[in-house]
Amino acid sequence: MTSLIIFLVLGASLLLLLVFALSRRRSPAAGSSEAFLDARQALSALQNDLLAADLVRRLFAKDDLDYILQFTPESVQKLFIQERRKVTLVWVRQVRKGVMSLRAFHRGQARHYARLRLETEFKLAVSFAVLLLACRALEIALYFKGPYAAPQIVGRTVGVAGRLCAISEKSLGFLTPGSLGDLTRGAAGEQAKV
Amino acid sequence: MEYVTGKMAVRAAADDMRARTLSGIRRPLDRLIYLASLRDYNTGLYYHDGLATRFSLDVACEALAECHSQVFRELCAASLEELVRQLEGYVDSTHAARGDFIAAWQGLEPYRVAVPVETDPVSAELFFSNLRVALAVLQTRLHGHWAAPPSASPQPSPAQ
Repeated sequence: MTSLIIFLVLGASLLLLLVFALSRRRSPAAGSSEAFLDARQALSALQNDLLAADLVRRLFAKDDLDYILQFTPESVQKLFIQERRKVTLVWVRQVRKGVMSLRAFHRGQARHYARLRLETEFKLAVSFAVLLLACRALEIALYFKGPYAAPQIVGRTVGVAGRLCAISEKSLGFLTPGSLGDLTRGAAGEQAKV
Repeated sequence: MEYVTGKMAVRAAADDMRARTLSGIRRPLDRLIYLASLRDYNTGLYYHDGLATRFSLDVACEALAECHSQVFRELCAASLEELVRQLEGYVDSTHAARGDFIAAWQGLEPYRVAVPVETDPVSAELFFSNLRVALAVLQTRLHGHWAAPPSASPQPSPAQ
């Protein structure tokens, strides 16, 4: 009798788990095009705007600070630091948002198509985690110490973000109709493009 | 093919605009304000009779948008010192009293409507922020306590 009860409880639990898993699962088509578009937009914003060398250089330009310190009174110096802090915080938050969008794409979609190896997936996951952590650290540094407090973190963040964008670009390029056509024509043995 | 032709026409119109009109406006800040003034606030479309006659309304509009974006990028890449210099030159070219000009620009922030439509928010914010600081720098100079750096020689205004 006891074993029957245990068996029934186990069976019911498994059934519940199955129902839960099915309720969480979305159809492959639903949301995939949305995630793809989000990722494309995020990648474009990161590569063309946020990580553009000219913009990053200007945001953290030391010559602006030198000019302000040398030729303006304290009130303007304070205003400058406040203003630049505000803009650099907007910048790092936008970078973080873009990176999160790319991570969501890799988590949900890329591996289904690009057939990533476990090792590659793990490396990507670590890179995304490191980058998001760096963005958060930079945000804290900018907030408390100002825009000129952590030039090394800025450089590293931009470097890692650039590399991840390049990887994402390959993944997204792989998902264009032409590339998918190549895949179906016999690239079955091909390893992940990432 | 039509697309390529359209692109080439836009490029030709933009070159024409640069050669005939924009080359006569020396400071990028002046060029930005001039190009923004050619844009209809309600529709976001640019109008320039001469350019539209030589090309077409659509091509002229696209060419002006391209010129506007290019000038904005140029200004975003400029140092704060350079922007202060340009703003100072622009103030002088308007023949308005400096104090009045600074008060109006600080209060109304008219430069906000001078950025191209498709500008990314960070670049736009950097431009606004730099102009706020530049206005503060000019304000301190107005009170006579702080002089301009020695290298900052005033540029002639487009009116001159």
